[in-house]
Amino acid sequence: MASLSAPGPSRPAAGGRPGPLDRYAAERATGALRGPAGCVYLHQGAVYCVECPAAPGPGTRLAAAGRLAPECWRHAEEAAGADRQGARFLVGRGWLTRGELELCQLTAMLDAACFVLPPAPGSVSFAPGEAHWLGVVRPVGAGALLAAVARRRAQLDRLGAWAAADGAPVVPVPPAPGGRPLTGRQRWLLAHADGRRTPGQLAHALGRSAFLTVLEVRRLAAAGRVRLPAPAALPRRRPGAFRDGPRAADAPPGPTAWHLPDPGVLATADPDAALLVRLRTALEENL
Amino acid sequence: MPGIDQVLARAMGVPGVLGAGLTDWTSGLTLGTAGRAPHGDHDAAAADTAELVQAVARNATFDTAGGDAEPLEDLIVTTGRSYHLVRLVPTAFDSQTCLHLWLDRDRANLAIARLRLRELAAELAEG
Repeated sequence: MASLSAPGPSRPAAGGRPGPLDRYAAERATGALRGPAGCVYLHQGAVYCVECPAAPGPGTRLAAAGRLAPECWRHAEEAAGADRQGARFLVGRGWLTRGELELCQLTAMLDAACFVLPPAPGSVSFAPGEAHWLGVVRPVGAGALLAAVARRRAQLDRLGAWAAADGAPVVPVPPAPGGRPLTGRQRWLLAHADGRRTPGQLAHALGRSAFLTVLEVRRLAAAGRVRLPAPAALPRRRPGAFRDGPRAADAPPGPTAWHLPDPGVLATADPDAALLVRLRTALEENL
Repeated sequence: MPGIDQVLARAMGVPGVLGAGLTDWTSGLTLGTAGRAPHGDHDAAAADTAELVQAVARNATFDTAGGDAEPLEDLIVTTGRSYHLVRLVPTAFDSQTCLHLWLDRDRANLAIARLRLRELAAELAEG
Protein backbone atom coordinates (compact mmCIF):
# COMPACT_ATOMS: atom_id res chain seq x y z
CA MET A 1 0.00 0.00 0.00
CA ALA A 2 1.37 3.36 -0.99
CA SER A 3 1.98 5.68 1.90
CA LEU A 4 2.35 9.40 2.21
CA SER A 5 4.43 9.29 5.31
CA ALA A 6 6.61 6.21 5.46
CA PRO A 7 10.24 7.18 5.13
CA GLY A 8 12.10 5.13 2.61
CA PRO A 9 14.85 5.04 0.09
CA SER A 10 12.65 6.92 -2.35
CA ARG A 11 13.05 10.11 -0.33
CA PRO A 12 15.98 12.06 -1.63
CA ALA A 13 18.07 13.87 0.94
CA ALA A 14 17.97 17.65 0.84
CA GLY A 15 19.57 18.55 -2.45
CA GLY A 16 19.66 14.82 -3.04
CA ARG A 17 20.94 12.82 -5.94
CA PRO A 18 18.79 12.65 -9.05
CA GLY A 19 16.49 9.63 -9.20
CA PRO A 20 15.11 7.67 -12.15
CA LEU A 21 12.51 10.33 -12.94
CA ASP A 22 15.13 13.08 -13.15
CA ARG A 23 17.19 10.88 -15.46
CA TYR A 24 14.36 10.08 -17.90
CA ALA A 25 13.25 13.71 -17.82
CA ALA A 26 16.79 14.85 -18.67
CA GLU A 27 16.85 12.37 -21.55
CA ARG A 28 13.52 13.83 -22.76
CA ALA A 29 12.20 10.26 -22.74
CA THR A 30 8.69 9.23 -23.81
CA GLY A 31 7.11 6.22 -22.15
CA ALA A 32 5.80 4.77 -18.89
CA LEU A 33 7.86 4.61 -15.70
CA ARG A 34 6.39 1.89 -13.45
CA GLY A 35 7.18 1.59 -9.77
CA PRO A 36 5.66 -0.29 -6.83
CA ALA A 37 3.21 2.54 -6.03
CA GLY A 38 2.06 3.51 -9.51
CA CYS A 39 2.92 4.61 -13.01
CA VAL A 40 4.30 7.88 -14.39
CA TYR A 41 3.75 8.68 -18.07
CA LEU A 42 6.30 10.89 -19.76
CA HIS A 43 6.18 12.76 -23.05
CA GLN A 44 9.52 14.19 -24.16
CA GLY A 45 10.66 14.27 -20.55
CA ALA A 46 7.57 16.03 -19.16
CA VAL A 47 5.03 14.24 -16.95
CA TYR A 48 1.50 14.22 -18.34
CA CYS A 49 -0.18 11.48 -16.32
CA VAL A 50 0.38 9.67 -13.01
CA GLU A 51 -1.72 6.70 -12.00
CA CYS A 52 -1.85 5.29 -8.49
CA PRO A 53 -4.48 3.10 -6.82
CA ALA A 54 -4.18 5.19 -3.63
CA ALA A 55 -5.49 8.38 -5.27
CA PRO A 56 -8.83 8.77 -7.12
CA GLY A 57 -8.28 9.39 -10.83
CA PRO A 58 -10.05 11.97 -13.01
CA GLY A 59 -12.85 9.56 -13.93
CA THR A 60 -13.61 8.82 -10.28
CA ARG A 61 -13.62 12.53 -9.42
CA LEU A 62 -15.93 13.45 -12.28
CA ALA A 63 -18.30 10.59 -11.48
CA ALA A 64 -18.42 11.36 -7.75
CA ALA A 65 -19.27 14.99 -8.55
CA GLY A 66 -22.06 13.88 -10.89
CA ARG A 67 -20.24 15.68 -13.73
CA LEU A 68 -19.60 12.69 -16.01
CA ALA A 69 -21.08 9.20 -15.80
CA PRO A 70 -18.55 6.39 -15.32
CA GLU A 71 -19.83 4.79 -18.56
CA CYS A 72 -18.79 7.88 -20.51
CA TRP A 73 -15.29 7.70 -19.05
CA ARG A 74 -15.03 4.01 -19.91
CA HIS A 75 -16.43 4.69 -23.37
CA ALA A 76 -13.72 7.31 -23.94
CA GLU A 77 -11.08 4.81 -22.86
CA GLU A 78 -12.37 2.25 -25.35
CA ALA A 79 -12.69 4.84 -28.10
CA ALA A 80 -9.23 6.30 -27.50
CA GLY A 81 -7.70 3.75 -29.84
CA ALA A 82 -4.12 3.10 -30.70
CA ASP A 83 -3.33 6.77 -31.19
CA ARG A 84 -4.28 7.52 -27.55
CA GLN A 85 -6.66 10.40 -28.15
CA GLY A 86 -9.04 9.91 -25.20
CA ALA A 87 -8.89 13.55 -24.15
CA ARG A 88 -9.76 14.78 -27.65
CA PHE A 89 -12.69 12.34 -27.69
CA LEU A 90 -14.04 13.58 -24.33
CA VAL A 91 -13.86 17.24 -25.38
CA GLY A 92 -15.00 16.56 -28.95
CA ARG A 93 -18.15 14.84 -27.72
CA GLY A 94 -18.91 17.90 -25.61
CA TRP A 95 -18.80 15.83 -22.43
CA LEU A 96 -16.15 18.07 -20.87
CA THR A 97 -14.78 21.48 -21.71
CA ARG A 98 -11.08 21.79 -22.42
CA GLY A 99 -10.61 23.76 -19.17
CA GLU A 100 -12.45 21.19 -17.07
CA LEU A 101 -10.44 18.31 -18.46
CA GLU A 102 -7.16 20.14 -17.94
CA LEU A 103 -8.02 21.10 -14.36
CA CYS A 104 -9.33 17.66 -13.43
CA GLN A 105 -6.42 15.83 -15.04
CA LEU A 106 -3.76 18.09 -13.47
CA THR A 107 -5.36 17.89 -10.03
CA ALA A 108 -5.66 14.10 -10.17
CA MET A 109 -2.11 13.78 -11.51
CA LEU A 110 -0.68 15.84 -8.66
CA ASP A 111 -2.65 13.81 -6.11
CA ALA A 112 -1.32 10.52 -7.48
CA ALA A 113 2.20 11.96 -7.73
CA CYS A 114 2.23 12.43 -3.94
CA PHE A 115 2.12 8.65 -3.52
CA VAL A 116 4.33 7.69 -6.44
CA LEU A 117 7.11 10.29 -6.56
CA PRO A 118 9.96 10.23 -6.32
CA PRO A 119 10.35 6.62 -7.48
CA ALA A 120 13.20 4.77 -5.85
CA PRO A 121 16.09 3.62 -7.99
CA GLY A 122 16.00 -0.12 -8.55
CA SER A 123 12.25 -0.43 -8.03
CA VAL A 124 11.16 0.92 -11.40
CA SER A 125 10.92 -0.28 -14.96
CA PHE A 126 10.62 1.94 -18.01
CA ALA A 127 8.53 1.02 -21.04
CA PRO A 128 9.70 3.29 -23.88
CA GLY A 129 6.94 4.59 -26.09
CA GLU A 130 4.08 3.35 -23.89
CA ALA A 131 1.37 6.01 -23.67
CA HIS A 132 -1.73 6.63 -21.55
CA TRP A 133 -5.08 6.40 -23.31
CA LEU A 134 -6.04 9.98 -22.38
CA GLY A 135 -3.10 11.30 -24.35
CA VAL A 136 -1.01 14.33 -23.47
CA VAL A 137 -3.41 16.82 -21.88
CA ARG A 138 -1.12 19.29 -20.17
CA PRO A 139 2.38 18.11 -19.31
CA VAL A 140 4.30 19.40 -16.29
CA GLY A 141 8.07 19.52 -15.88
CA ALA A 142 9.38 16.68 -13.72
CA GLY A 143 11.38 19.05 -11.51
CA ALA A 144 8.36 21.27 -10.86
CA LEU A 145 6.21 18.24 -10.03
CA LEU A 146 8.82 16.83 -7.63
CA ALA A 147 9.05 20.22 -5.90
CA ALA A 148 5.25 20.41 -5.59
CA VAL A 149 5.15 16.91 -4.06
CA ALA A 150 7.88 17.91 -1.60
CA ARG A 151 5.89 20.99 -0.54
CA ARG A 152 2.78 18.87 0.00
CA ARG A 153 4.77 16.32 1.98
CA ALA A 154 6.22 19.07 4.18
CA GLN A 155 2.66 19.99 5.21
CA LEU A 156 2.03 16.39 6.23
CA ASP A 157 5.35 16.17 8.06
CA ARG A 158 4.41 19.15 10.23
CA LEU A 159 1.54 16.97 11.49
CA GLY A 160 3.68 13.83 11.63
CA ALA A 161 2.74 13.14 15.24
CA TRP A 162 -0.76 12.25 14.03
CA ALA A 163 0.32 9.98 11.16
CA ALA A 164 -1.31 7.02 12.92
CA ALA A 165 -4.66 8.42 11.73
CA ASP A 166 -3.69 7.94 8.04
CA GLY A 167 -4.61 4.28 7.75
CA ALA A 168 -7.22 3.96 10.49
CA PRO A 169 -11.01 4.25 10.16
CA VAL A 170 -12.06 7.88 10.65
CA VAL A 171 -14.06 7.96 13.88
CA PRO A 172 -15.40 11.44 14.72
CA VAL A 173 -15.14 12.69 18.29
CA PRO A 174 -17.70 15.22 19.61
CA PRO A 175 -16.28 18.68 20.22
CA ALA A 176 -14.98 19.54 23.65
CA PRO A 177 -16.25 22.81 25.17
CA GLY A 178 -14.09 25.71 24.04
CA GLY A 179 -12.63 23.76 21.13
CA ARG A 180 -11.65 25.59 17.93
CA PRO A 181 -14.30 25.72 15.22
CA LEU A 182 -13.75 23.60 12.12
CA THR A 183 -13.57 24.69 8.48
CA GLY A 184 -16.33 23.77 6.07
CA ARG A 185 -14.14 21.11 4.47
CA GLN A 186 -13.46 19.54 7.87
CA ARG A 187 -17.14 19.55 8.83
CA TRP A 188 -18.01 17.99 5.48
CA LEU A 189 -15.40 15.29 5.97
CA LEU A 190 -16.62 14.46 9.47
CA ALA A 191 -20.20 14.32 8.21
CA HIS A 192 -19.13 11.58 5.77
CA ALA A 193 -16.95 9.67 8.25
CA ASP A 194 -18.87 6.56 9.23
CA GLY A 195 -16.32 5.12 11.64
CA ARG A 196 -15.42 2.36 9.18
CA ARG A 197 -13.73 3.97 6.21
CA THR A 198 -10.11 5.10 6.28
CA PRO A 199 -9.07 8.48 4.84
CA GLY A 200 -8.02 6.77 1.60
CA GLN A 201 -11.36 4.96 1.28
CA LEU A 202 -13.24 8.20 2.00
CA ALA A 203 -11.25 10.00 -0.70
CA HIS A 204 -12.16 7.32 -3.26
CA ALA A 205 -15.82 7.14 -2.27
CA LEU A 206 -16.23 10.93 -2.33
CA GLY A 207 -13.96 11.57 -5.33
CA ARG A 208 -11.79 13.90 -3.26
CA SER A 209 -8.08 14.50 -3.08
CA ALA A 210 -6.42 11.67 -1.15
CA PHE A 211 -3.67 14.04 0.00
CA LEU A 212 -6.07 16.67 1.32
CA THR A 213 -8.21 14.03 3.01
CA VAL A 214 -5.21 12.62 4.85
CA LEU A 215 -4.03 16.14 5.73
CA GLU A 216 -7.45 17.17 7.07
CA VAL A 217 -7.80 13.96 9.07
CA ARG A 218 -4.40 14.61 10.66
CA ARG A 219 -5.53 18.17 11.50
CA LEU A 220 -8.76 16.80 12.95
CA ALA A 221 -6.80 14.25 14.99
CA ALA A 222 -4.56 17.05 16.26
CA ALA A 223 -7.67 19.03 17.25
CA GLY A 224 -9.06 15.99 19.07
CA ARG A 225 -11.99 15.65 16.66
CA VAL A 226 -10.96 12.28 15.24
CA ARG A 227 -10.08 9.28 17.37
CA LEU A 228 -6.55 8.03 17.03
CA PRO A 229 -6.09 4.26 16.92
CA ALA A 230 -4.81 2.82 20.19
CA PRO A 231 -1.05 2.44 20.09
CA ALA A 232 0.35 -1.05 20.16
CA ALA A 233 0.40 -2.18 23.81
CA LEU A 234 3.68 -2.07 25.67
CA PRO A 235 5.11 -5.53 26.23
CA ARG A 236 4.14 -6.84 29.64
CA ARG A 237 6.27 -9.19 31.66
CA ARG A 238 6.39 -10.54 35.12
CA PRO A 239 8.48 -8.38 37.42
CA GLY A 240 12.02 -9.58 37.34
CA ALA A 241 11.56 -11.63 34.17
CA PHE A 242 14.48 -11.54 31.79
CA ARG A 243 15.39 -12.26 28.21
CA ASP A 244 18.32 -14.25 26.97
CA GLY A 245 19.82 -11.23 25.30
CA PRO A 246 19.13 -8.57 22.72
CA ARG A 247 17.12 -9.75 19.76
CA ALA A 248 19.21 -10.43 16.69
CA ALA A 249 18.66 -8.04 13.80
CA ASP A 250 17.64 -10.87 11.50
CA ALA A 251 15.44 -12.64 14.05
CA PRO A 252 11.95 -13.42 12.75
CA PRO A 253 9.29 -11.09 14.12
CA GLY A 254 7.20 -12.47 16.93
CA PRO A 255 6.57 -12.17 20.63
CA THR A 256 9.65 -11.99 22.79
CA ALA A 257 10.28 -15.04 24.97
CA TRP A 258 10.50 -13.99 28.60
CA HIS A 259 11.90 -16.25 31.26
CA LEU A 260 10.20 -16.27 34.62
CA PRO A 261 12.28 -14.81 37.41
CA ASP A 262 14.36 -16.93 39.60
CA PRO A 263 12.94 -16.10 43.06
CA GLY A 264 16.44 -16.26 44.47
CA VAL A 265 17.53 -13.42 42.21
CA LEU A 266 15.17 -11.00 43.87
CA ALA A 267 16.24 -11.89 47.40
CA THR A 268 19.25 -9.92 48.47
CA ALA A 269 20.73 -8.75 51.72
CA ASP A 270 22.05 -5.53 50.17
CA PRO A 271 19.50 -2.83 51.14
CA ASP A 272 20.41 -0.68 48.12
CA ALA A 273 19.90 -3.56 45.68
CA ALA A 274 16.66 -4.56 47.43
CA LEU A 275 15.37 -1.00 47.04
CA LEU A 276 16.26 -0.98 43.36
CA VAL A 277 14.54 -4.35 42.82
CA ARG A 278 11.38 -3.11 44.57
CA LEU A 279 11.48 0.09 42.52
CA ARG A 280 11.90 -1.84 39.27
CA THR A 281 9.08 -4.21 40.23
CA ALA A 282 6.78 -1.28 41.01
CA LEU A 283 7.63 0.43 37.73
CA GLU A 284 7.04 -2.72 35.72
CA GLU A 285 3.73 -3.39 37.37
CA ASN A 286 2.58 0.06 36.36
CA LEU A 287 3.74 -0.13 32.76
CA MET B 1 -14.45 26.32 -24.97
CA PRO B 2 -11.33 27.86 -23.47
CA GLY B 3 -8.52 25.94 -21.89
CA ILE B 4 -5.98 27.19 -19.37
CA ASP B 5 -3.82 29.01 -21.95
CA GLN B 6 -6.79 30.79 -23.52
CA VAL B 7 -8.06 31.96 -20.13
CA LEU B 8 -4.63 33.25 -19.17
CA ALA B 9 -4.34 35.07 -22.52
CA ARG B 10 -7.69 36.73 -21.81
CA ALA B 11 -6.50 37.63 -18.31
CA MET B 12 -3.72 39.62 -19.98
CA GLY B 13 -6.48 41.83 -21.40
CA VAL B 14 -7.55 43.03 -17.94
CA PRO B 15 -6.66 46.75 -17.68
CA GLY B 16 -3.41 47.31 -15.78
CA VAL B 17 -2.38 43.65 -15.70
CA LEU B 18 1.33 42.84 -15.51
CA GLY B 19 1.12 39.07 -15.25
CA ALA B 20 -1.24 36.17 -14.61
CA GLY B 21 -0.97 32.62 -13.38
CA LEU B 22 -2.92 29.50 -12.56
CA THR B 23 -1.62 27.58 -9.54
CA ASP B 24 -2.52 24.53 -7.50
CA TRP B 25 -2.75 26.14 -4.08
CA THR B 26 -2.13 22.98 -2.06
CA SER B 27 1.34 22.53 -3.56
CA GLY B 28 2.34 25.72 -5.37
CA LEU B 29 2.57 23.84 -8.68
CA THR B 30 2.45 26.24 -11.64
CA LEU B 31 -0.27 25.11 -14.05
CA GLY B 32 0.02 28.06 -16.43
CA THR B 33 1.43 31.58 -16.69
CA ALA B 34 1.22 34.67 -18.89
CA GLY B 35 3.03 37.99 -18.86
CA ARG B 36 5.50 38.88 -16.12
CA ALA B 37 5.93 37.68 -12.54
CA PRO B 38 7.26 39.67 -9.57
CA HIS B 39 11.08 39.41 -9.61
CA GLY B 40 10.82 37.53 -12.90
CA ASP B 41 10.02 34.21 -11.22
CA HIS B 42 6.65 32.65 -12.02
CA ASP B 43 7.37 29.48 -10.01
CA ALA B 44 8.22 31.47 -6.88
CA ALA B 45 5.06 33.54 -7.39
CA ALA B 46 3.01 30.32 -7.61
CA ALA B 47 4.61 28.83 -4.47
CA ASP B 48 4.10 32.07 -2.50
CA THR B 49 0.53 32.48 -3.72
CA ALA B 50 -0.17 28.91 -2.60
CA GLU B 51 1.11 29.68 0.90
CA LEU B 52 -1.12 32.75 1.04
CA VAL B 53 -4.23 30.74 0.11
CA GLN B 54 -3.32 27.91 2.50
CA ALA B 55 -3.00 30.35 5.39
CA VAL B 56 -6.55 31.52 4.77
CA ALA B 57 -8.11 28.18 3.78
CA ARG B 58 -7.00 26.19 6.82
CA ASN B 59 -8.49 28.58 9.38
CA ALA B 60 -12.15 28.66 10.28
CA THR B 61 -12.03 32.42 10.91
CA PHE B 62 -12.36 33.15 7.18
CA ASP B 63 -14.83 30.33 6.55
CA THR B 64 -17.85 32.53 7.05
CA ALA B 65 -19.83 32.03 3.85
CA GLY B 66 -22.17 29.42 5.26
CA GLY B 67 -24.63 27.20 3.45
CA ASP B 68 -23.97 26.46 -0.20
CA ALA B 69 -22.02 29.67 -0.85
CA GLU B 70 -18.43 29.43 -2.02
CA PRO B 71 -16.32 29.20 1.16
CA LEU B 72 -13.56 31.37 -0.27
CA GLU B 73 -13.63 33.61 -3.36
CA ASP B 74 -10.90 36.23 -3.55
CA LEU B 75 -7.76 37.25 -1.75
CA ILE B 76 -6.53 40.78 -2.37
CA VAL B 77 -3.10 42.10 -1.42
CA THR B 78 -2.39 45.77 -2.07
CA THR B 79 1.01 47.40 -2.10
CA GLY B 80 2.06 50.99 -2.79
CA ARG B 81 2.58 50.23 -6.48
CA SER B 82 0.52 47.15 -7.30
CA TYR B 83 -2.35 44.83 -6.56
CA HIS B 84 -2.20 41.04 -6.23
CA LEU B 85 -5.58 39.51 -6.90
CA VAL B 86 -6.20 35.79 -6.26
CA ARG B 87 -9.39 34.00 -7.29
CA LEU B 88 -10.15 30.42 -6.27
CA VAL B 89 -11.49 28.47 -9.25
CA PRO B 90 -14.80 26.78 -8.41
CA THR B 91 -15.25 23.38 -10.08
CA ALA B 92 -17.98 20.76 -9.99
CA PHE B 93 -15.33 18.15 -9.16
CA ASP B 94 -12.74 18.36 -6.40
CA SER B 95 -9.83 20.64 -7.32
CA GLN B 96 -7.74 23.27 -5.59
CA THR B 97 -6.59 25.83 -8.11
CA CYS B 98 -6.47 29.62 -8.12
CA LEU B 99 -6.09 32.24 -10.82
CA HIS B 100 -3.95 35.19 -9.83
CA LEU B 101 -3.23 38.57 -11.37
CA TRP B 102 -0.44 41.02 -10.72
CA LEU B 103 -1.69 44.51 -11.52
CA ASP B 104 -0.12 47.95 -11.90
CA ARG B 105 -1.93 50.06 -9.33
CA ASP B 106 -1.74 53.26 -11.40
CA ARG B 107 -3.46 51.67 -14.39
CA ALA B 108 -5.73 49.06 -12.82
CA ASN B 109 -9.19 49.35 -11.35
CA LEU B 110 -9.46 46.83 -8.54
CA ALA B 111 -13.23 46.42 -8.78
CA ILE B 112 -13.15 45.83 -12.54
CA ALA B 113 -10.20 43.47 -12.28
CA ARG B 114 -12.01 41.46 -9.61
CA LEU B 115 -15.14 41.11 -11.74
CA ARG B 116 -13.11 40.12 -14.82
CA LEU B 117 -11.16 37.54 -12.86
CA ARG B 118 -14.40 36.07 -11.52
CA GLU B 119 -15.69 35.70 -15.08
CA LEU B 120 -12.44 34.12 -16.24
CA ALA B 121 -12.42 31.59 -13.39
CA ALA B 122 -16.00 30.63 -14.23
CA GLU B 123 -15.12 30.25 -17.95
CA LEU B 124 -12.21 27.99 -17.09
CA ALA B 125 -14.30 25.58 -15.07
CA GLU B 126 -17.74 25.83 -16.61
CA GLY B 127 -19.30 22.61 -17.76
